[in-house]
Amino acid sequence: MLKTVITSEDRSFLNLRELKRYSGLFKYLSLRDVFVRYKQTWLGFGWSIIRPLINILIFGSLSYLIDRSQNFTDRFLLVSAGVIFWQLLSTAILDVSNSLISNANILTKVYFPKLILPLSSILVCLIDFFIAFVLFLIFFFILKGLPVWQIVFLPLVIVYGLIFSFGLGLIFATASVKYRDVKFILPFIIQILFYASPVFMTTSYILSLNIPNWIKMIYQINPFVFILNAFKFCFYGSFDSSEPIYLAVSIGISFLVLISAIKYFLNFEKSFADYI
Amino acid sequence: MSEIAIKVENISKKYDLLHQNKAGGNSLVGAFAGGLKSLITSSHKGETHEDFWALKEINFEIQQGDRVGIIGRNGAGKSTLLKVLSRIVKPTSGRIEYTGRMASLLEVGTGFHGDLSGRENIYLNGSIMGMTKREIDAKFDEIVDFSEVEKFLDTPVKKYSSGMYVRLAFAVAAHLNSDILIVDEVLAVGDASFQKKSLGKMEDASQQSGKTILFVSHNMGQISSLCNKGILLNKGRVEQEGSIQTIIGSYFNQNDASNLDQSEFNYPDDPKKDLQITQIKLNNQLGEACRSFAHDEPVVLAITVEKKAALKDVMLGLFFTDMSDKRIFTVQLPLSDKFDLDNKRTFKLIIPHTTFIPNTYRFSVALHIPNIQLIDEKQNAGKFEIYDNGSELYRYAGTDIGVVFVNCKWEY
Repeated sequence: MLKTVITSEDRSFLNLRELKRYSGLFKYLSLRDVFVRYKQTWLGFGWSIIRPLINILIFGSLSYLIDRSQNFTDRFLLVSAGVIFWQLLSTAILDVSNSLISNANILTKVYFPKLILPLSSILVCLIDFFIAFVLFLIFFFILKGLPVWQIVFLPLVIVYGLIFSFGLGLIFATASVKYRDVKFILPFIIQILFYASPVFMTTSYILSLNIPNWIKMIYQINPFVFILNAFKFCFYGSFDSSEPIYLAVSIGISFLVLISAIKYFLNFEKSFADYI
Repeated sequence: MSEIAIKVENISKKYDLLHQNKAGGNSLVGAFAGGLKSLITSSHKGETHEDFWALKEINFEIQQGDRVGIIGRNGAGKSTLLKVLSRIVKPTSGRIEYTGRMASLLEVGTGFHGDLSGRENIYLNGSIMGMTKREIDAKFDEIVDFSEVEKFLDTPVKKYSSGMYVRLAFAVAAHLNSDILIVDEVLAVGDASFQKKSLGKMEDASQQSGKTILFVSHNMGQISSLCNKGILLNKGRVEQEGSIQTIIGSYFNQNDASNLDQSEFNYPDDPKKDLQITQIKLNNQLGEACRSFAHDEPVVLAITVEKKAALKDVMLGLFFTDMSDKRIFTVQLPLSDKFDLDNKRTFKLIIPHTTFIPNTYRFSVALHIPNIQLIDEKQNAGKFEIYDNGSELYRYAGTDIGVVFVNCKWEY
């Protein structure tokens, strides 16, 4: 029979077999978040359509008013793509960050691999994204026609984007167990990232600006720059690139963030119930 | 020879207590003002740290198939021990080894979501407790049956009555597939018949499939009916291990010692009195000093009376009151002819077993000549406790079922 040993060892280890055994929990927690999201709303899942629709219309149109270097449809679609993908990435960061605290009641009553909580909070974001994505595709088809063949890279880009968002969120989630300050800082960070990523303003626009070089450097090592540009690449086939060296650094940073996030999480996993 | 299911070695758990020195006095406003002050100055001078050992060097072994009751007063460390055992918090030092799957039930309905239906919550809760979908599928009908909420299976549980909610939650837990089950004080909820059913379910699980059970409750009736072994905790340490009856007995005696209550009362000589009570003792049937009695054990009161002058028609009277000061019954003994040889005599009152419903009672003793004179009186002279050790009455714990148990006869 299975033998379990409990010690005072602080660190826990990434136990993939155990995670797999709890895949049922992952599924039901994800489904819970999906089902509960629009409970007791009159529109229900309609909100999943209306929210991205409003975002696309407002940001897409607004950006044309500000930057008229392209014609309306191109500008509108480019920004819309950024907006819906950013919506996925930012809600993933937020939901992962909240996943531990919002499940404190389970955390303090039952043992399970805690990594399930941040992981399961991603599904809701993906479902919302899927609806927004279909909307965007409709706009794209009507205004521009079929996307380029590079669209086959899309799943890869989405997974990569989520991996980085997950890593960032996981750091915040772990920190928030002890420091609720995270809750207040997070909206600012998301907002700053929004402006520091090519959602609204393209990378070539930022790089053409007359600003100090070090700002451009910081801008380019932001992993979201590559992630969002890669997303747009899947539709246009042209890559709005930062300098290759920074691109490599930014990819390195994203994986460094993920690895340190998991390490940080595992170091504190066993103490969550004591602090939450 | 049964196998060891759980082996606990030197487990300690330390908590860091943060004391805030009273910066702004004891008022609510003061507390806030103090908080603001420390926020502005960001100094933590007002705080002192103190180590608190919730568990200290705990050692024990549990055999497979044992049903162990963990007993102790509030703050003894029972819940912390269960949390360490179920891997929710980690011990500060020590080591635990157990064999097989463990399921812990520290709360009924962990993770229940009010907006989800009963059916959805069964799956959610079951998977939180560590069941796979296949296991839940297999037991689904049984769970629904046990919970008695079949008609409301597709209703959001926030619309459930609290009784239905608890029944559903416990039903899931009762069907867990585990080798070791840890249960904390969760049976205090639900109505009496459902409690009985749940307890029976656990007993079955233990007896038929050899499931090891660790059970915490303040209801000694439940504990003694379910468990065969006991562990007594006191201030984070194991005070005693043994059979459940011994442990329950020690638990009540532990309570006595700490309450500074006595089982012997001595009264100084009063020269003005011709007749007086000099000593009252509470004994068990073996003549040992005792203040807590099992429901099925007689209560013995030994009252020593000293006579200095002859008195006629004197009665020794006792009455018993419950904790709300309601008199329950009175007993009397005429003393006139009882002092032939000696001037000092002890009278033993033996109250038959199963007289009192488990609870705490007080007694008063008096020497009097009926309607004429009160010679000596000891109002609320002492109190004793009757505990339930497995009578049918434990089911009604918490409900008022009266104070005395009368063994009536039925004819039909």
